Amino acid sequence: MNYFPWLTIIVLLPIFAGSLIFFLPHRGNKVIRWYTICISTLELLLTTYTFCYHFQLNDPLTQLTEDYKWIHFFDFYWRLGIDGLSIGPILLTGFITTLATLAARPVTRDSRLFHFLMLAMYSGQIGSFSSRDLFLFFIMWELELIPVYLLLSMWGGKKRLYSATKFILYTAGGSIFLLIGVLGIGLYGSNEPTLNLETLANQSYPVALEIIFYIGFLIAFAVKLPIIPLHTWLPDTHGEAHYSTCMLLAGILLKMGAYGLVRINMELLPHAHSIFSPWLIIVGAIQIIYAALTSPGQRNLKKRIAYSSVSHMGFIIIGIGSITDTGLNGAILQIISHGFIGAALFFLAGTSYDRIRLVYLDEMGGMAIHLPKIFTMFSILSMASLALPGMSGFLAELILFFGIITSQQYLLMPKILITFVMAIGMILTPIYLLSMLRQMFYGYKLFNVPNSYFFDFGARELFVSISILLPIIAIGIYPDFVLSLSVDKVEAILSNYFYQ
Amino acid sequence: MEYTYQYSWIIPFIPLPVPMLIGVGLLLFPTATKNLRRMWAFLSIFLLSIVMILSVYLSIQEINRSFIYQYVWSWTINNDFSLEFGHLIDPLTSIMLILITTVGILVLFYSDNYMSHDQGYLRFFAYMSFFNTSMLGLVTSSNLIQIYIFWELVGMCSYLLIGFWFTRPSAATACQKAFVTNRVGDFGLLLGILGLYWITGSFEFRDLFQILNNLIYNNEVPFLFLTLCAFLLFAGAVAKSAQFPLHVWLPDAMEGPTPISALIHAATMVAAGIFLVARLLPLFIIIPYIMNFISLIGIITVLLGATLALAQKDIKRGLAYSTMSQLGYMMLALGMGSYRAAFFHLITHAYSKALLFLGSGSIIHSMEAIVGYSPDKSQNMVLMGGLKKHVPITKTAFLVGTLSLCGIPPLACFWSKDEILNDSWLYSPIFAIIACSTAGLTAFYMFRIYLLTFEGHFNVHFQNYSGQKSSSYYSISLWGKEVPKTIKNKNNFHLLSLLTMNNNERASFFSNKTYQIDGNGKKRIRPFLTITHFVTKNTFSYPHESDNTMLFSMVILVLFTFFVGVVGIPFAFNQEGIHLDILSKLLNPSINLLHPNSNNSVDWYEFVTNAIFSVSIAFFGIFIASFLYKPIYSSLQNLNLLNSFSKRGPNRILGDRIRNVIYDWSYNRGYIDTFYTISLTQGIRGLAELIHFLDRRVIDGITNGFGLTSFFFGEGIKYVGVGRISSYLLLYLLFVLIFLLIYSFFFFNLNFL
Repeated sequence: MNYFPWLTIIVLLPIFAGSLIFFLPHRGNKVIRWYTICISTLELLLTTYTFCYHFQLNDPLTQLTEDYKWIHFFDFYWRLGIDGLSIGPILLTGFITTLATLAARPVTRDSRLFHFLMLAMYSGQIGSFSSRDLFLFFIMWELELIPVYLLLSMWGGKKRLYSATKFILYTAGGSIFLLIGVLGIGLYGSNEPTLNLETLANQSYPVALEIIFYIGFLIAFAVKLPIIPLHTWLPDTHGEAHYSTCMLLAGILLKMGAYGLVRINMELLPHAHSIFSPWLIIVGAIQIIYAALTSPGQRNLKKRIAYSSVSHMGFIIIGIGSITDTGLNGAILQIISHGFIGAALFFLAGTSYDRIRLVYLDEMGGMAIHLPKIFTMFSILSMASLALPGMSGFLAELILFFGIITSQQYLLMPKILITFVMAIGMILTPIYLLSMLRQMFYGYKLFNVPNSYFFDFGARELFVSISILLPIIAIGIYPDFVLSLSVDKVEAILSNYFYQ
Repeated sequence: MEYTYQYSWIIPFIPLPVPMLIGVGLLLFPTATKNLRRMWAFLSIFLLSIVMILSVYLSIQEINRSFIYQYVWSWTINNDFSLEFGHLIDPLTSIMLILITTVGILVLFYSDNYMSHDQGYLRFFAYMSFFNTSMLGLVTSSNLIQIYIFWELVGMCSYLLIGFWFTRPSAATACQKAFVTNRVGDFGLLLGILGLYWITGSFEFRDLFQILNNLIYNNEVPFLFLTLCAFLLFAGAVAKSAQFPLHVWLPDAMEGPTPISALIHAATMVAAGIFLVARLLPLFIIIPYIMNFISLIGIITVLLGATLALAQKDIKRGLAYSTMSQLGYMMLALGMGSYRAAFFHLITHAYSKALLFLGSGSIIHSMEAIVGYSPDKSQNMVLMGGLKKHVPITKTAFLVGTLSLCGIPPLACFWSKDEILNDSWLYSPIFAIIACSTAGLTAFYMFRIYLLTFEGHFNVHFQNYSGQKSSSYYSISLWGKEVPKTIKNKNNFHLLSLLTMNNNERASFFSNKTYQIDGNGKKRIRPFLTITHFVTKNTFSYPHESDNTMLFSMVILVLFTFFVGVVGIPFAFNQEGIHLDILSKLLNPSINLLHPNSNNSVDWYEFVTNAIFSVSIAFFGIFIASFLYKPIYSSLQNLNLLNSFSKRGPNRILGDRIRNVIYDWSYNRGYIDTFYTISLTQGIRGLAELIHFLDRRVIDGITNGFGLTSFFFGEGIKYVGVGRISSYLLLYLLFVLIFLLIYSFFFFNLNFL
């Protein structure tokens, strides 16, 4: 095959180009902004080019692999590779991060550091999605935490230090379990640590040990995804972060948890996964209802959207727990779809906050008169989020429903119950999303703000929101865009489960 | 021709360019798009006309050959399951297509004028065309998933259009209510679809029915589960067609512009539930419980809608409850298995009700200029009256619609309603009695609306006739006469005050507060609109007849109301006694599935007796209504009768009491909305608060508590470890002492042993 290190370049380009920001001449923020946007766009184009020309879709194996020995004395390799599971999240990362840098143009304070951190995060995310070595995965996983912490603690809202501390404690706490799991798996059964994901996938462990590993990884990913009851960092973080950070958080970071669950828990530990999957499904169903019920109680706009994210993550958990082709495909589709929808909703919430400077929903009202374009986009994306047909969210949820229905593992009654509970979530979602819309836009209440003239969306914001909207509709109309990426890989993963 | 059928998948997509172009245009090039105003309306009417021509062509084909065309292609390719898209053209579809397109075109035509001064003109047309797209998609879809998709899309269009005037808080709540209520139905629909998929492994209607029949034949179906699925599917139809437990959204949906009420909430979208049940009738018919349940829901809705319509003040709400009642008739007919009668009534009712709504829209449009743009005033029948003189054409059209809905012979609804009533006698006498008496109620409330609106004097200026300016307008009671004030005082409501949520609002109606009719009362309601007519108190201005475009649509609908009955009238028999009307011919392929009773050839004698019976009930209702609501001065001949009634004192009080009970029932919407507000809305709100509290205090509290304790622990350690030797020594000695104590204690203990 080709020996050009595409992936290394893709992973390292943003962070190296980002560090050059500090050497740029002091000519104001404009240069830095343009530079960052150009780098992100270049990265996105490079990724797309690589995937178009050097990646075979119908091959379930890992492609574009690179394998360099990095640290000799404990066999640490720089191992990268792409398969059908990771290509979707990587493209999503490129897309969302590019748009987030575009959305972050109003940030003027310390813009060098800000943009550097955005690019560093870019590297960390792509790195963790494309690493084929467990330890490298862990390092990339940690690498992307630091930028988030800094972004949160420096450019956040009023309670930013509290939220940032909470975020870093939660995720670092999760990372300990991840590290334990990584080392445990790596050191099991041989003198030399084996951290290669390919070899690990074929290894089998004693059941008890496998369960312990599974629990360790599950805690790490449950913090990230999040799974209740480890979710409380998310509303705080999202409530305080700048909206470009929120886009990254909601769009990509949460998906890393789901990705990790599939990549490590499902692929490496199939026995434990089939033991745990009923519990995952139950927790997922509870989470859908729980978060959907918590959301209407939120007065803060961003927290309400954050809880809706938590609720939607429940669908992913159910899809992962269903152990069916359909369910897992649905989970992947939901990952991608919620990446777009969540990012777009936070973007809109942030931009409307910039205009009205009000956080609490009950203080708002009547914004539709002044901000018709924001109103339009907000309505469309809320509809997308409440799974309106024709948009990607609906298809993802529908496929997940089928995943549960066709699952061979479970009996009829549990399946009926789970489906029923998921469907109740479908009733609750419009309640909080539409009442959010109503409180923000409907009515004629004028604001307490002295000058009640607001600028509607400018070209940049319109561009960002429309370019997120287009893939949502495209996937909703023709889901094979995403499904064709992952179908073969999903089948390969699930083939492990039929040998038992 | 095969060719046309092959390309008929394009039908739903023909109107689609309009919303897409308007949407993109409004977002990206607002001014340029807005300058093209009328062009967009023209374009959408033109595209819909193309669909109409196509669908007329298709239905002619259907009449001649009556075959079913289905074409399917795959949508997602997955190994385990594949979703498919397809279109199905059968008689049911072709009827619905014609219905949607004809009413749609007329309503679009009408709304060009109705909405012409609105800022949201383009938005309106975009929504309307999108609604047409989704509705056409709904009726041509060939599998359940596709139905579900378009089902949701029409729900969304309805949401957007109800909330069209988003500055009105009432519209904001109404649209949310409509969407959530419909979502409850969709919840059932989706679960039903999934359950059926689990049983049969298919979404296609025809495969589904076939597989089910085979399974039932072999006794392999979990019957309880199948019943549950059918029930859940029916829940979708219940929500969409505003049947009994989920009807609450329909009257509130009248917050939308009136053309919307005509198109979506009277003629097409609410018929989608009927359409779905009709489509799935082969499934329902094998489960007798479900058929009984459907007819039960139907009859409850019939009665409930009619009683709730009795005392509505708002003209559109009255019509909305009447729609609900009529939809109940259709559901009843479907539950009885008389598929044909249901569809016949669907068609005739659609045209009549569209006519009535457009008529009421015309009235509202002309009232708005005088009383202001608040729906509380412009749609309030109390303020109308005597419009006969001012809007004669609208009056005629409205009268035709009213008569049709009452079931007066030459008009459309007579034929279909009569058919349903006949069938109900064969089904169950109790249902039939209820259905027939409701026909009388229908006549009563429809004529009440008509008389209050068009007869008598124009009530806005009433104070000048009576000479006392301070008197309440509302003392011209809805019951037509001066009602003794004592009955309407608070003591009547003390029991109900807990139940009625809008009591405060209502109390203000009965207090002697007059509405501000002139300009200053309406300034905050719709800030978009410049109010052109400022009325001073001394000059009377009267409503004007609407423009020709609006009248044109109404006149066409009058023609439809007159003649659409023809499709179902069994006017000609051939030798074998098989009726030859168009509808039966269309629905013939599916008619053999039905209840045998509707298959009887119509006996003229029976027909005439039944018709006389139902018409006499309708006339009785009309008589009561005109007795109660006809202004006294114009009906002198009744004076003696009136006097004889008023002489009997105790009876009168009793009558008033009954009246007030009915009035309260109707005004509070049968307390169902209140019940839902208390039980569901408050319940969910309380639950949300509770869970929010749990989340904040317990789950987050644990984390925060953990953080705090570790913080204090760390601080404590810090104080201990300040780095002074003396404190270290002190601690050291302390611990040594403790150790020595313990040691000595044990030591001595051991010694004493």
